[in-house]
Amino acid sequence: MSDPTFLLVAAGSAILGLVSGALGCFAILRKQSLLGDVVSHAALPGVMLVFLLFRTKAPFPLLLGGAATGWLCTMTVLRIVRSTRIPPDTALCGTMAVFFGVGIWLQTYIQHHVRDASQAGLDRFLFGQAATLLDRDVLWMAILGGVALGTMLLLWKEFKLLSFDPEFAASLGWPVRRLDVILMSALVLAIVIGLQSVGVVLMSAMVVAPGAAARQWTDRLGRMVALAGTFGAVAGVAGTWLSEQIQRTPTGPAIVLCATAIAVGSILVAPRRGLLWRFPAIWRRRHRSQLNSETTAIPGGSPQPR
Amino acid sequence: MIAIQVEDLTVAYGEQPVLWDIDWKVPTGVLSAIVGPNGAGKSTLIKTIVGLVRPVAGSARILNQPLRDARRKIAYVPQRNSVDWDFPTTVFDVVLMGTYGELGWFRRPGRRQRQAAWETLRQVGMEEFASRQIRELSGGQQQRTFLARALVQQAPVLLMDEPFQGVDAVTEQAVVQILRRLRDEGRTVVVVHHDLATVAEYFDEVLLLNVRRIAAGPCADVLTPENLRQAYGRVPVLWANAGPGKEEGVTREAGG
Repeated sequence: MSDPTFLLVAAGSAILGLVSGALGCFAILRKQSLLGDVVSHAALPGVMLVFLLFRTKAPFPLLLGGAATGWLCTMTVLRIVRSTRIPPDTALCGTMAVFFGVGIWLQTYIQHHVRDASQAGLDRFLFGQAATLLDRDVLWMAILGGVALGTMLLLWKEFKLLSFDPEFAASLGWPVRRLDVILMSALVLAIVIGLQSVGVVLMSAMVVAPGAAARQWTDRLGRMVALAGTFGAVAGVAGTWLSEQIQRTPTGPAIVLCATAIAVGSILVAPRRGLLWRFPAIWRRRHRSQLNSETTAIPGGSPQPR
Repeated sequence: MIAIQVEDLTVAYGEQPVLWDIDWKVPTGVLSAIVGPNGAGKSTLIKTIVGLVRPVAGSARILNQPLRDARRKIAYVPQRNSVDWDFPTTVFDVVLMGTYGELGWFRRPGRRQRQAAWETLRQVGMEEFASRQIRELSGGQQQRTFLARALVQQAPVLLMDEPFQGVDAVTEQAVVQILRRLRDEGRTVVVVHHDLATVAEYFDEVLLLNVRRIAAGPCADVLTPENLRQAYGRVPVLWANAGPGKEEGVTREAGG
């Protein structure tokens, strides 16, 4: 528990959970949750390309490469949506598949053709392996995450306005497209810092789950973002711990399962919004309406009034 | 003084023209309506004036200035259903957003902005709802919140998109009272409106629109059966069935 490797790895996971959870709130509120998926999948070719070109394992260039292709993919999607009649979900899926496909192809190529590829640990980018995090990895996660969070805090009022009512923002003279790109870039940073420990496949869950959980507990944006960051950090640490306890468990799935557990728990038990509290009322209402309407056909037998 | 001057304005979505060669002037200190059938381009017109839609041709000027120099002089109230009311924020916060324009980059609202937001909330009778989550409001209260957010901008020209849509009668009257007060202060208010029956009662002037400008000017001059037939393709049911009193009322005013 207290060994330095674990502390380091847990710190890295906490940072990634904090940053992706906090910035994920904006993606959720803007109904752009799928963008998390796009960015993370599209980061793979960037990471592979940087390795192939520079043969480096240094975290900064690899993450930067991932951020570059993730960003490029997002902008491609936006451009397609803006200038064609292709609907957004189709544009998202199509573009993401192409980028991810290229990433997988590059990865396979590297494995077969580059000598020290297995030592490079590039496969961890697929499902994440936090145990391989080094000091410098965590340092870069902290720096990039700090930039993303700092941008969010600095442009808090702008991001809030943009997320709630972009048309009104534009009517005030705010450069909505530029703000859009800045927010998107911060989100891209938040996602790429999770690539090593969670991996490209599951990272989108870290964008969505903490925010979805936090939304259940509060009606204020500030509290939602703070809470989502906390949930993300907790999931990061808990997932890392779980994957240490259970042999040969990749960290990515463990962290994501923890985040999902928090989300499901919140959806069930959160005050007022929680399904568990609302369920009796829903059930009663449905039951009563069944009793009241004689014409309702109930599949599987007649209602059993108690 | 001209508050809004629209010249040769043409707007198209794709190949389809939505507004065709519109010329329109709104003097200052006037309550003006934009009416017309669905798809007439009413919302598009005010969106173009506030710069949300780029015209294919033509221009709009605010108080004799191009829009980029007149940002601080217009306030826009979008349609109520254009936002997600489940957004985690409060009435007070939404109203405070009206001050974001004057604040500029990075600066947060301070005491002065909060003060202004409170005063505006009081004006629209929403003080007691200040800390409510916006989902928990009625349609009328949501509309008042939107109005307050625009009022806090203290702009001389106010443009509203369908403010009476899905709003109770009490709110409608309250909003009209507020708009009249603004007009009496010398401000200019332009409202996209869909209820022909109340146009003449609420507004001083009206623009009758169906992609092209049909007519504009004082309500009595514009809302003639001929013009309405031209705009709606027929005399709207409301007019045709309104009974002799109403119809006469309109034609008499039109004649006078």
